[in-house]
Amino acid sequence: MLKSDEDSDDEVYFANMPDFGDHVDNAIFSQILEMDESDHERDFSEPLVINFFEQAQDTFEKMDQALASRDLNELSTLGHFLKGSSATLGFNKIRDSCQVVQQYGHKLTVDGVSEPDENVCLKKIAEALQAAKVDTAELEKQMKKFFGAE
Amino acid sequence: MLEDPSYNSVVRWSPEGDSFVVLEKFTKTILPKHFKHSNFASFVRQLNKYDFHKVRHNEESGEAPYGRDAWEFKHPEFRADRKDQLDNIRRKAPAPRKPPPTEDAFPASQQIVVLSESLNATNVQIQTLQEQYLELDRTNRLLVAEVLSLQKMLRAQSQASNELISHLNNMEDRRRNSRHSAQSSHSSHSGTNYHQGTLGLLPDGTDEPAPELRRAREILNGVSPDSQADRELERLSMAYHQNGSPAESAGSSVMFTHAGPQTSMNVVHDPFSDPRHLVYPVGQTQGIDPFHADHIHNIPYSRPLSNPNVMTEAPSQISPPPGKEQNGSLWRGKKPQILLVEDDKTCARIGSKFLTNMDCSVETARDGLEAVEKINTDADRFDLVFMDIIMPNLDGVSATAMIRMVTPQIPIIAMTSNIRQEDIQTYFQFGMNDVLAKPFTRDGMVRILKKHLTRMLKDPQSAGVLNDPNDPTSAGNGGGGQQTAGGPGPPTGGYANANMAASMQAAINQAAQVQVKYEQTPIPSPSTTASWHSPGTTMQQVQHQQVQQQQQHASPRLDQGGYMNAVGSGQGVGGMVLTPGGSQRGPGPGQQQQQQYAGYMQAGPGPVTRLPEMGGMGGGAGDDRPEKRQRLYGPGQGGYVG
Repeated sequence: MLKSDEDSDDEVYFANMPDFGDHVDNAIFSQILEMDESDHERDFSEPLVINFFEQAQDTFEKMDQALASRDLNELSTLGHFLKGSSATLGFNKIRDSCQVVQQYGHKLTVDGVSEPDENVCLKKIAEALQAAKVDTAELEKQMKKFFGAE
Repeated sequence: MLEDPSYNSVVRWSPEGDSFVVLEKFTKTILPKHFKHSNFASFVRQLNKYDFHKVRHNEESGEAPYGRDAWEFKHPEFRADRKDQLDNIRRKAPAPRKPPPTEDAFPASQQIVVLSESLNATNVQIQTLQEQYLELDRTNRLLVAEVLSLQKMLRAQSQASNELISHLNNMEDRRRNSRHSAQSSHSSHSGTNYHQGTLGLLPDGTDEPAPELRRAREILNGVSPDSQADRELERLSMAYHQNGSPAESAGSSVMFTHAGPQTSMNVVHDPFSDPRHLVYPVGQTQGIDPFHADHIHNIPYSRPLSNPNVMTEAPSQISPPPGKEQNGSLWRGKKPQILLVEDDKTCARIGSKFLTNMDCSVETARDGLEAVEKINTDADRFDLVFMDIIMPNLDGVSATAMIRMVTPQIPIIAMTSNIRQEDIQTYFQFGMNDVLAKPFTRDGMVRILKKHLTRMLKDPQSAGVLNDPNDPTSAGNGGGGQQTAGGPGPPTGGYANANMAASMQAAINQAAQVQVKYEQTPIPSPSTTASWHSPGTTMQQVQHQQVQQQQQHASPRLDQGGYMNAVGSGQGVGGMVLTPGGSQRGPGPGQQQQQQYAGYMQAGPGPVTRLPEMGGMGGGAGDDRPEKRQRLYGPGQGGYVG
């Protein structure tokens, strides 16, 4: 693709894209939509997004287990993992929750200050996990609508 | 098999029973099926190693008795009637170089034989070279490990001295404050510093034991000099002096077997000690095949690792000849081959898509192990590697260190959200060339490709400019393309890519300089440290300032002060003494990358020559920073760090 096409493409995608609110970083997500061959057959982005939600579901289950067994390390790893995918897709809310999980899994606050109390960490993680689940469910609905509508 | 008459058409004893004959059918049909290296020369090489030698037929007629393409091999102990001597046939010790056959001695009809003989001799030479290379390789690992442990020590020491200074400084402040101001000023002071770690000036802290001193002592105790590694290094250099080349002394191999386990003690991040991950698998059949097209193709260009100095020369992978113009492609000739190492499927798919979209061929590896295997299989296949850091099985940093044993040239780009100062420093220490912030963007990838594959661009001048119409600085970078505008600059979301990329770039530049700094002056002296310490400010403030500069003013609410106090102060000092940022902008991208790498591998000429340059660049670099910084101020951008 020629570079010069791109700016105008961006405009178009920004205009065409539904508003996912603060769930999604439009700039990042539109770059992914841009990779589709056509606006009507989103054969790249759609499976990607669907796959992400499967992956998220899977990760949440693992997080639940790790939470039950108070495995902070595992929680941190899982948090990091899902953070990477969600960030790459521009799913900011989920990303932020994952960041919280990752940080407290390392016994650190979000600002990187040490938090030695495991119970506090687990509590924060549980909250963030809950928030991530809610956000994911909400976003999944929106995404399905977006892809379904096209 | 030799005994069996049914194989007579393939291989059989000669009539005398003292040699065996390999017939044409073997070469054509059996060999490709059963031997890893399907060419006949390779098979002959194997035989040679077991001291089988080709029987030359020098009959005047020039006609081989067993037909064309038949080869006869002989071994003094290998006879049809003497099976008991089979045990005496062993693989030879590393073969001595054969004198090249004198070609004039043979009639023209024997030229083919002569050629294949010299080919065999060359093979033996290649093998010897390969073995030497392996030895050098091991030595190199040891040296790298040693350098790393030394660096670690230096870092700890500078950190310790930093703590001492900061303690003295606190004392000073305390004294001054108690003299000049009331108790209340103490409280407010400590309030502002509350977030910045444990150095806070507690009003009643005078009776407490100085935590800095304690910490400094702990650090120093924690990193006792690794005398074993030192001894090893000494022995190594002795061996070098005595033998010239370690591969030529029988003792050296013994030495190296000792060295193996000991290197593992040197460094925490030691990826080399794990035998599973040996970069060059032992054994001829698994090593490089000198007949592989790529190697033959590359013979005129020296293999870089055999001589570290070659690293400063032009990259060995030459650009393909121009001509095959592709419409709309960034690239001049063939597509760049990119290896994308990423454990997360989503990221890998997006990354591949972006790269394919940029007209690159992409291969993916799911973890470091797979990446190392791919590179080992064919070191020259890829033009660039994007490497995730945190991965199962083998992380990206270790994988890089191992890849660097094979190919020092290939640009390896860390893809990570860990852009903390010491993370980035680690990446560079282990031979990475650049960092791409996660989540990566298409533009971010374009920037990296243009910067590191400038030689493959259709229009090298466009590097950085084409990409980046919004960025006033990049046009002047002469292809450096250090920055990306991150596309249409997302105003929302508190996550501006351009900001991260740029701040990282600054941090990266510093990281590279820090290394140089260490090589020049191992321990930042107190006076050096004090030189940037403006009077009247507390150590915490200075350190906080320093953090901010390193992050190029990452949002102040991203409070890494405390963190840096504990971990990063030593690095900070190194970085701050030198001009932060920018100094690498001058040289072309290729040179820059090599210099960085030179800093990593060689304690030699690279860094030395760079120092004055860095001093000279100081003014210019400082000049364009503020403007950058302004743009960098994104709302809440720090939330994602770590």
